[in-house]
Amino acid sequence: MIIAKSLKKSFGDFTAVKGIDLHVQKGECFGLLGPNGAGKSTFIGMTYGTVKRSDGHLSVFGFDPDTHSREIKSRLGVVTQDNALDESLTVFENMLIYCAFIGVPSNERKKRIDDLLEYMNLSHKRDALIQTLSGGMKRRLVFVRALLGKPELLILDEPTTGLDPAVRHLLWGKVRELHQGGTTIVLTTHYMHEAEVLCDRLVIMNQGNVAAEGSPQNMIHKHAPGYVGIFNIEDKNKLESIVAGNSGLDYHADTSGLYLRTNSLAALTAFHSDHGLQPLQIRPSNLEDVFLKLTGQELSSDA
Amino acid sequence: MLNTLKLCFHITRRNWIVYKKDLIANISPTVADPALVLVSLGLGLGSFITNVEGMSYMQFLAPGLTVATALFTSFFESSYGFYVRMTYENVYKAMLTTPIGVKEVVIGEMIWVGLKGAVMAVGVAIVLALFGLMSNPWLIPALASVGFLVALPCGAMGLLSSALVNNINQFQTVYSFLIAPLYFLSGIFFPIPQMHLAVRIVAEFFPLIHGVRLAQSLFWERGIAEAFMYSGSILVVQSAILCILAYTQIKKKLIA
Repeated sequence: MIIAKSLKKSFGDFTAVKGIDLHVQKGECFGLLGPNGAGKSTFIGMTYGTVKRSDGHLSVFGFDPDTHSREIKSRLGVVTQDNALDESLTVFENMLIYCAFIGVPSNERKKRIDDLLEYMNLSHKRDALIQTLSGGMKRRLVFVRALLGKPELLILDEPTTGLDPAVRHLLWGKVRELHQGGTTIVLTTHYMHEAEVLCDRLVIMNQGNVAAEGSPQNMIHKHAPGYVGIFNIEDKNKLESIVAGNSGLDYHADTSGLYLRTNSLAALTAFHSDHGLQPLQIRPSNLEDVFLKLTGQELSSDA
Repeated sequence: MLNTLKLCFHITRRNWIVYKKDLIANISPTVADPALVLVSLGLGLGSFITNVEGMSYMQFLAPGLTVATALFTSFFESSYGFYVRMTYENVYKAMLTTPIGVKEVVIGEMIWVGLKGAVMAVGVAIVLALFGLMSNPWLIPALASVGFLVALPCGAMGLLSSALVNNINQFQTVYSFLIAPLYFLSGIFFPIPQMHLAVRIVAEFFPLIHGVRLAQSLFWERGIAEAFMYSGSILVVQSAILCILAYTQIKKKLIA
């Protein structure tokens, strides 16, 4: 559905996307994970023609976005990073304007809007002004807007940034339903958990490059298997002296804590009995550890 | 092509839907400003100036006010209005995810300011005709074309400045050095031949003076055909050039 080969984008001296290869298959939920500035949004913009690529090949539905953006845009829906709703209009009026933009036949507009408002639990706000809606409601409405055209491809550009857990879980549920219904989904996020929950396959982007690619479980298994123990910063000296004498341990320290990764749970729990060090928390490795391992920096740096 | 026009029309319609939500606030400056000028300058200053080109100062001032209205309504809409939509409300970011492209955005906005200019010019002309300042009120509908032809190039200047300013405060510079001089030096307040030659020559290259000539020909019912042939065609050419310039610059802003 989306094929990128050696895709590049520079803004002046700065290269935001440095020659990436990507392939999004029909029907999958594909994730682009990475910190702010990794090139995710630049890539998204290139797929529907609001960012012109500098070099390389890109096709979406078999079309070149630089020359056939209208053909592409008539088949996709985008949950934009900014809500960009008309604050002075009502929910229904906002959606009506968009129906006109995307060419929904006039006799179908009302029903389609009402059905989608129902789907996103917003029916009770149909005639409310946007400025009276909460952040979570606005976000759900942006989902409605993206779905008005019954898109084959749904692009979610940081869909849950800044939302409370309840709304986030509701949106995840909807995304899963849409995915099961056959919609191809491309999701950008800097929440690892979101990518783990939703994506069949993902790439981790860092500074304009693809750092790793695969299914979430495969990536964790391949790059950072096992468990992570998080230790109290006050135990730093003691922990480091133990690590220094044991090259098999994967250790990382930063301002948020001391992280020690081992292949087995037992190796971590043994730290208490062997050295008198009690981890504050022990958890299975996740994508954040993969990112850390691959790039040597926090996923959330610059965020 | 048909599709493009349809999309342009939807953008125009969107602006109208948003505009009419706050109609009183949106419309008041366009009604109040010319009324104020008419009272203060026409009645006040006009009592000292009894004869300008064979008519009262009120009569001399009237046609220019319709054109000034078209200038302000179009420039402010496409500078502050457009800039806020583009930068703060991200309206176009969302629009560009639909089949709408930059071309449709620019044409849709230009149709919107053109229509606004036309309606405002006619509205002001109706009020002025009620004061007996128009020799033949049946010519009022023709002022719609003047409003439209003035609003297009002035609106395009607004779009162009929207693309070129680095922040919203810089519109004040554009206003001080471009819009205010146009307003004061385009023959609205005193006859054009009394201006310095250099000013007269420079003024010819800007849209306002031509709009004033058109409006004066209609208000005073003299030389209408000549005015439309000369100034009318110049306005069309200026509109075309400025709209294309605005399009190329706005495109750079909206497409990275």
